[in-house]
Amino acid sequence: MELRLATRDIAGYTVVEVRGEVDVYTASVLRAKLVEVIDRGAGNVVADLQRVDFLDSTGLGVLVGALKRLRMRGGDMSLVCDNEKLLKIFRITALDRVFALHGSVQAATATPPAPPAG
Amino acid sequence: MTQPPAAGVERDVVLLTVPADGAYLGVLRTAAAGLAARLHFTLDEIEDLRIAVDEACAMLIRLAAPMATLRCRFELTGEELGVEVAVSAAPEASPPATSTFAWKVLTALATDPSAAFSERTATIALTARRSNGEPRPGARYAMGDPTENGG
Repeated sequence: MELRLATRDIAGYTVVEVRGEVDVYTASVLRAKLVEVIDRGAGNVVADLQRVDFLDSTGLGVLVGALKRLRMRGGDMSLVCDNEKLLKIFRITALDRVFALHGSVQAATATPPAPPAG
Repeated sequence: MTQPPAAGVERDVVLLTVPADGAYLGVLRTAAAGLAARLHFTLDEIEDLRIAVDEACAMLIRLAAPMATLRCRFELTGEELGVEVAVSAAPEASPPATSTFAWKVLTALATDPSAAFSERTATIALTARRSNGEPRPGARYAMGDPTENGG
């Protein structure tokens, strides 16, 4: 398995730490984890991608799917990414304008999460 | 496999066949990166190629017949690395769709990608070029919905 996931709660956020490579082979594992935390009631999710070595369009699709799922429930998701290689794929797909991107987990969780909408 | 150089241009062809299974995508990415390094691509160019090869192979794996193999041909010519990937498609498979998010990523990262579908074989070809240190023009594309990949 080239993907490892860990979840922790920080200041009202559910932080999903992703390690390894996210591609067609591993994306379903990430999708299942994000669906699990969202369905368990997490409203404010932070996907920590600092230890992701590779991310392709399938992985981006999983992240966008999770964001849609959260927003339908009044929640939100931001990303932690300080890796220029990954930031480039967010830029060329214009998804850097869709996701809030932070340089650290501390920055992503610094502001108390907004109360659930609706 | 090495072919004799033509007209003074070094030209090596590398063939790699793996099961058409996502588990082998990492192997193909690593092979592509190693070959690009051999042509002295920059780290950015190598990363672009890794993603482009991954996207092309992932698209074909979705079309593959059961037990099919993914046949990758890398051609190293001077400053270019040509990549052609082919798979035997499942009977119900459609040609590789060039309207998908994956294809748009591929287009942003590789030169002149093309898709073909003939006699139940789906093929995607692309080229990566070494820039000789010159900055490549920045590309920014408004793209469709990435969840259309089934992601």
